[in-house]
Amino acid sequence: MKSIRALCVTGLIAFASGGATTAFAFEPESPQCIAPSGAGGGWDFTCRQVGKAMQDQKLISSTMRVVNAAGGGGGVAYAEVVNKMNDDNDLIVAASSATATRLAQGAYPGNTMDQVRWVGTIGADYGVIGVAADSPVNSLTELMDQIKQDPSSVNFAGGSAVGGWDHLKVLLAAKKSGISDVRKVKYVAFDGGAEAVVQIMAGTVQAFTGDASEAKGFVESGDLKVLAILAPERLDGEFASFPTAKEQGIDVVGANWRGFYAPLNMSEEAYDFWVNSVGEVYASAEWKKTMEANGLAPLDLRGAEFEDFVRASVNDIESLSKEIGLIK
Amino acid sequence: MLETLSSLADGFGVALTFQCLALAFLGCLLGTVIGALPGLGPSNGVAILIPLAFSLGLAPTPALILLTSVYYGAMYGGRISSILLNIPGDEPAMMTTLDGVPMARKGQAGEALALSGFASFFGAFFATWGLVFLAPLLVKVALLFGPAEYFALFVLAFATLGGVASTNQAKAAFAAALGLAIAMIGVDSQTGVPRFSFGQVHFYDGIDFLVAIVGLFALSEVFVFLEHKSSLKKSDTSGIKLGRITPPLWMLRKTFPTMCRSTLFGFFAGVLPGAGASLGSFISYSFEKQLVDRENTFGKGDPRGVVAPEAGNNAAAGGALVPMLALGVPGSGTTAVLLAMLLALNITPGPLLFQNNPDVVWGLIAALFIGNFMLLALNIPLVGMFVRVLMIPTHYLMPGVAMISFVGIYGISGSTFDLIVMVVFGVVGWVLRKLDVPLVPVILGVLLGNLMEQNLRRAMTISDGDWGILFASPLSIGIWTVAVVGFILPIFMARRLRRKLEREVTASDVD
Amino acid sequence: MSDRVFGGIGLLLGVFFIWQATLIPLSFISDPIGPKTFPIILGVVLSLSSVAIMLLPGGSADWPGMRTFAELSAAVAVLIAYSFVLPLVGFVVSTIFAAFYLCLRLGAPLKGAAIGGVSISLGIYALFHLVLGLSLARGPWGF
Repeated sequence: MKSIRALCVTGLIAFASGGATTAFAFEPESPQCIAPSGAGGGWDFTCRQVGKAMQDQKLISSTMRVVNAAGGGGGVAYAEVVNKMNDDNDLIVAASSATATRLAQGAYPGNTMDQVRWVGTIGADYGVIGVAADSPVNSLTELMDQIKQDPSSVNFAGGSAVGGWDHLKVLLAAKKSGISDVRKVKYVAFDGGAEAVVQIMAGTVQAFTGDASEAKGFVESGDLKVLAILAPERLDGEFASFPTAKEQGIDVVGANWRGFYAPLNMSEEAYDFWVNSVGEVYASAEWKKTMEANGLAPLDLRGAEFEDFVRASVNDIESLSKEIGLIK
Repeated sequence: MLETLSSLADGFGVALTFQCLALAFLGCLLGTVIGALPGLGPSNGVAILIPLAFSLGLAPTPALILLTSVYYGAMYGGRISSILLNIPGDEPAMMTTLDGVPMARKGQAGEALALSGFASFFGAFFATWGLVFLAPLLVKVALLFGPAEYFALFVLAFATLGGVASTNQAKAAFAAALGLAIAMIGVDSQTGVPRFSFGQVHFYDGIDFLVAIVGLFALSEVFVFLEHKSSLKKSDTSGIKLGRITPPLWMLRKTFPTMCRSTLFGFFAGVLPGAGASLGSFISYSFEKQLVDRENTFGKGDPRGVVAPEAGNNAAAGGALVPMLALGVPGSGTTAVLLAMLLALNITPGPLLFQNNPDVVWGLIAALFIGNFMLLALNIPLVGMFVRVLMIPTHYLMPGVAMISFVGIYGISGSTFDLIVMVVFGVVGWVLRKLDVPLVPVILGVLLGNLMEQNLRRAMTISDGDWGILFASPLSIGIWTVAVVGFILPIFMARRLRRKLEREVTASDVD
Repeated sequence: MSDRVFGGIGLLLGVFFIWQATLIPLSFISDPIGPKTFPIILGVVLSLSSVAIMLLPGGSADWPGMRTFAELSAAVAVLIAYSFVLPLVGFVVSTIFAAFYLCLRLGAPLKGAAIGGVSISLGIYALFHLVLGLSLARGPWGF
């Protein structure tokens, strides 16, 4: 790592430039991935898994440095990238539906989706709604009926901030199941899915909203009961036992895509490098295994296509938030 | 029980290889150095060395051994600069300055270092046993703490401040409120709105407590030296005595009950996610002070005041591994980094870790034991060397400390803005010292402010805005009771003490 | 006297903090107590403790004379300048000068301060950059 850095430095000031020869037009000198959450969250997972895959596949020659920048539902990291690292070629930032959600709601003050470049996705994680394993509630419809009778009796816990993606999924489901004033549905924000599940186990909150990958370990250990997965149809493998919301008559799909954005003024070569690298990771057999092990469903979008996708979902969420009454 | 012991033996089988021992040695050494350097603490120490673990291509167990050795090493090392320079090497070592510095000034630097080294060992050693036998049980303790209980716990920490850090309750309260107010700067993590940022994006992510701690302690110390340089030249450094480099037996005997109690307190504080080592050392110190400080010697170089926070914070370091391993919830900044490390190695901590990866868990626990003994063996002989730092003339030592502070901050954040904020904290620290306002509560406020507020708001959301939820469970009522007693008792004690002083001092002697 | 002035400033700070807290914009959806309540509570504690300090002042602080004050201001100025120059000229060079200045002002002889500045800078560079691998400010010369 040190020698690479030294080479690049000398290359820059044109001393011994013969030493630095690489196959790519661009190769990051010290690749860095910002996880806009604390360690252990979904974004953190994205950075670390992809960073490791890139290193294993020799796409990058040194370790991907993962920096955790939690706060503001990703807004802190977003502002940081836009304002401080706007031309950093070595940087990618983990993003997900949550990023698009908050951009759509204007929750990153002064920031819009056009201030960064969107690189690509590495899969999608479907939302789940669950309760403690010993809860008397056994289906999503039962839970929603309980909310209809007494909205204050159910507290949802999730890893995103109020109005964030985890919160929005619940509101969507509530709306689809006929609850008119969804603002009455109570939501408590925790620092990440794991902390939210722990509060379910502790019994301070009654229901969990999060992603399938966050719930998996706790379902296996028998602490959490998944009432519904917000996917168009049942997933394969270990997730096959989760009933979809759709089959319970509540037609909601909530896919949390996972991917990356990069600084706006990154060089064209660097942008292409990252788009290609993410693509190669996605295409590899190892990544298929990682996706399977973590409950990620396929979603393969890169470059301009991904940019359009994000724009569309930002628009969708914006109109949805207006419809529900979250924003004006 | 027997099963546990045999698993542990298997763990030692994994950990007792030449490579692992060498890594443990390297980790302990680097950790001690990192812990002693102002600005670098256990969490960024571990973060810094993660790339090293990767570039060496280590398998999961050896990599974890390296990093946990760094973790424990840094917890040990933090006390060194606390005692010698009045600058906490990291935040859990903050409380150690209170009695460590007076001891060093009395010429007992060697004793203070050796004693605190032993206390660190004691705390960490028994906390590791706690981890071995009680982890599944303790997870249930962590589950008793909902947002309301956490909030009460933080109130408890601040309520017991007054008696600890200053003779003036109002100033201690001011300092705590100031620290908490500083913590409010930045984007609100519940709703995403920026607060007290004055339009400055740099303030959006808040004030890093490392910037605050290095500024308030290290830089203000440099300013104090600059201020008093004329009087320094003659008296200081040359006359300093090293003292013994081993603690006398009577000191060990006198501090033994303190060690046991603090280990217990620290361990439980560590088990609670979010509370962490700082709260562990803090609670250990303040309880010990209220329990045994009859002659009012705490804060004036009482060996028990050195033992309590060190046993407490090292025990908390062990305790913090319980929720991290068993629930996947990091209890402190450092365990967050360790958790990240595990995830990068494709090991998911959580309820199934003990079943799915027993080799990793027990290898890790064995590594902790090895690291402990290695640190004890490493630290006691090194005391003599550490103390010699004091022999460096101030006019070389303090510039070095100042520059290390800058590097520590800049190396982590790469931000000029942070450096400026740090200088501002240095000036504020100097002014507060002049006014006899304690600095420890300020740091504690910066450290715990956000957690305290978020838990209050979570509790209030759950209760629909009914403040009664804060006193709804027997546990929270218990914590509140201790908090109230802890707040009121020192006021009465102070009054009694004042009366006693008045009796001793003649009436004419007015301040 | 110092304590009374300090209490007064603290009170102003507390009131300012409460005022700023009331200006926090509310998000489109909020929890029951919102982002303002806790800061306002803190502002109140800040103000009350300041009033207590004002009414019951302790001993008086021992403030330095103008000369020492100028000395400290100069040191602060140097450290701030250092913060700005650091990313421009790199760690080693800027640190040599800053450490040299501090050594000198803390009473080292000229030659000693020069040696001190260089060895502090190089020593830290070796430890932090070469051993611990932290990326320090890299100037035009790469160090």
